[in-house]
Amino acid sequence: MDAEAPRILHVDMDAFYASVEERDDPSLAGKPLVVGGPAEGRGVVSSASYAAREFGVHNAMPTAQAARLCPGLVVVAPDFERYTAASREIMQVFRSYTPLVEPLSLDEAFLDVTGCERLFGDAVEIGRAIKRDILKRTGLVASVGVAPSKFVAKLASDLDKPDGFRVIQADEVREVLDPLPVRKIFGVGERTAKRLERLGVHTVRDLADRDRDEVLREFGATGAWIHDLAHGIDPRRVNPRREERSISMERTFPEDVRDREELRRRLLEFAEELAYRLRDAGLRGRTVTLKARFWNFKTITRTHTLDFPTSLGPRLYATARELLGRVPATEPLRLIGLQVSGLQDVHTPLQNELFGVDAGARQAGDARDERLRKAAPALDELRRKYGRDTVRPASLLGHGASVGRDGAAEAPRPELGEASGA
Amino acid sequence: MKVLCNRERLREGLAVVNSVVPAKSPKPVLSNVCMVATDDALELVGTDLEVAVRYRVEDVKVEDPGTTVIPARVTLDFVRDLSGETVEFAAAGGNCTITSGGDACELVTVDADEFPVVSRFGEDGSLSLQGGTFTKLVERTAFAAAREQGRYAMHGVLIEIDDDKLKMVATDGRRLAVASAPIDLSGAPAPEHATIVPTKGMQLFCRVITDPLDQVRLAFEENQLGLRTRNAEVFARLLDGEFPRYSAVIPKEVGNALEADGDHLQRKIRLVANVTGDEARAVRLSVKKGKLELFGQSAGRGEATAHMDVEYKGRSADIAFNPDYVVDGLKNAERELVRLEFNDKSSPGKFTLGEDYVYVVMPITMDV
Repeated sequence: MDAEAPRILHVDMDAFYASVEERDDPSLAGKPLVVGGPAEGRGVVSSASYAAREFGVHNAMPTAQAARLCPGLVVVAPDFERYTAASREIMQVFRSYTPLVEPLSLDEAFLDVTGCERLFGDAVEIGRAIKRDILKRTGLVASVGVAPSKFVAKLASDLDKPDGFRVIQADEVREVLDPLPVRKIFGVGERTAKRLERLGVHTVRDLADRDRDEVLREFGATGAWIHDLAHGIDPRRVNPRREERSISMERTFPEDVRDREELRRRLLEFAEELAYRLRDAGLRGRTVTLKARFWNFKTITRTHTLDFPTSLGPRLYATARELLGRVPATEPLRLIGLQVSGLQDVHTPLQNELFGVDAGARQAGDARDERLRKAAPALDELRRKYGRDTVRPASLLGHGASVGRDGAAEAPRPELGEASGA
Repeated sequence: MKVLCNRERLREGLAVVNSVVPAKSPKPVLSNVCMVATDDALELVGTDLEVAVRYRVEDVKVEDPGTTVIPARVTLDFVRDLSGETVEFAAAGGNCTITSGGDACELVTVDADEFPVVSRFGEDGSLSLQGGTFTKLVERTAFAAAREQGRYAMHGVLIEIDDDKLKMVATDGRRLAVASAPIDLSGAPAPEHATIVPTKGMQLFCRVITDPLDQVRLAFEENQLGLRTRNAEVFARLLDGEFPRYSAVIPKEVGNALEADGDHLQRKIRLVANVTGDEARAVRLSVKKGKLELFGQSAGRGEATAHMDVEYKGRSADIAFNPDYVVDGLKNAERELVRLEFNDKSSPGKFTLGEDYVYVVMPITMDV
């Protein structure tokens, strides 16, 4: 076996949300299309089809701006349920080739195919097979990069996008990296790139040619990391058990909201959805953080750590509500968000306490939690079978906004925090 | 001031004082030892304002009574490294000279008025007990006191007098140790206030009890506990704050009870605990008719099982504990046969480790 042969794959779906929409509604095919919040209000583009990208539309752009750039732009509200379903199928394809799959998001993953060669052929053959299987099973197009390391594989999948397939052999790494702008290096953001440019570093080659100590002095630990990457050195393994550190949802309102009732409804919706996701992933969380952005973009967070980790919506909501009480009610809010961190596996042993903070109150709480805990699996089963909105808190009924297709600006987007940088 | 001392006796006293003296303090004067020479005695005094000690050095000859305050650490180090049998202290005019044979050092003294006042042991109302009784109770309980931040009132040992017994209680909220021993009260009044002594104070008390058969005296005061031995008086400021109502969590009626050899049980728990993780340590005990199965598991490492014979009354049941907690208690068991009683896997387990020694451990819930 050739030790130098590339064995890391990076698979990235092309314009994922937009492609799912096109697939499910053939009348949209080929049209400039974005998935995101509406142009009126403060919608933002979550995903733009390639037809739309030709007009200069890109992700994270305000929908209003996208509509100005691209007359006739079709704007579709996101439906995460369908994206999640497609994502599951894609991940299944990955896992049918190798157990070493590290998902980065719904539509993107690293794969390590070391040791799978006898079963499925070399990394290049496996890459081709995965691309083919995904298209066959989901009707969606993936771009694949095959390389000796994560960093280079991720670059490779991007090079020939859309519908890309790019293999970078170990002895080609230098050649491919050298001319790329330095900001293509993972970890080099806007600010670092500017600082590098001031030092006369524009391309990856410029950075690689610099003395390591010099880069280290200038950028500290980040310096060592980006200098290594510039040399194509990336020792990170594909980690299939990467743990999520937090999960969160947030929403920008079409218009600033002062009404506490309305804010509480959002929090209830987030709490229920986050709790569902926790249970679905076999996790529970202990720390609840509320994020509030005022009309003037001033942003504050309020945090509370529970005595016990939980995956119950009402418990998260009760905490979120208290946290909202600590946010000044005088100014209207532009955005509200909820995060649960301190996540642990449900099988993590839990040390019980001798003395509750308030034993009586806790017992009452526990009895209620106990009933909710018992009910949750059955409700979740219904949600999985008939859709996420099948069971909802009564107080959210008639208030339109649900997690699925709701047309609200910058639809709540579940984000997975990461324990290790990708 | 001028005093002649036996070097070994002096070293012993300085070592005790240095166990109190803070390494760093916003009040620099506390890093000193205060030496008080009276007609026939030399006393060493040290404090960090939470605990304080007066230590009387034996075998001294006072030539000139007086008081001097010098750096505690340096003095101990110098005296320890001397080789002569006797040491002379002579303080005058802002300096203190320590001489032994041909070796000498001169230290700058601190104004004695700056040194905090340390109380004297009040004999009135104090009670007498054997030193060994006191240290035994501390050993059986203090390990269970809280160490992490918060839980202020749990950072010490609660001392109660109850039914002609001296009782000590410590807990960190997850386990609770209660030990008591009969003492002769001879009419001494029980303390009026809850007496919670910080763990550091308890350690110092035990440190000055050198002979377990010696009688010591305890004085309960409003905000401190004093203990007097032959050589030393130690005072510990009490923790204020409310100690949890511990008696409510000691199980009264239990359905399951097992008896086992304590050492044997401890060995088996250690054995299976070897595979448990560092963060979430848990060992599950499953009992049925005369058999105990122990099971340890860690997601990353694997699992381990062990078996042993026990006396058991109750239905088949299991309960999981942090193995470190259980071992902490078993190490101090007073008798060979220990008893574990519990109702179910989510309620406290009660270990009886001796005649007046109960240790309650909250279980760990697994797989919920």
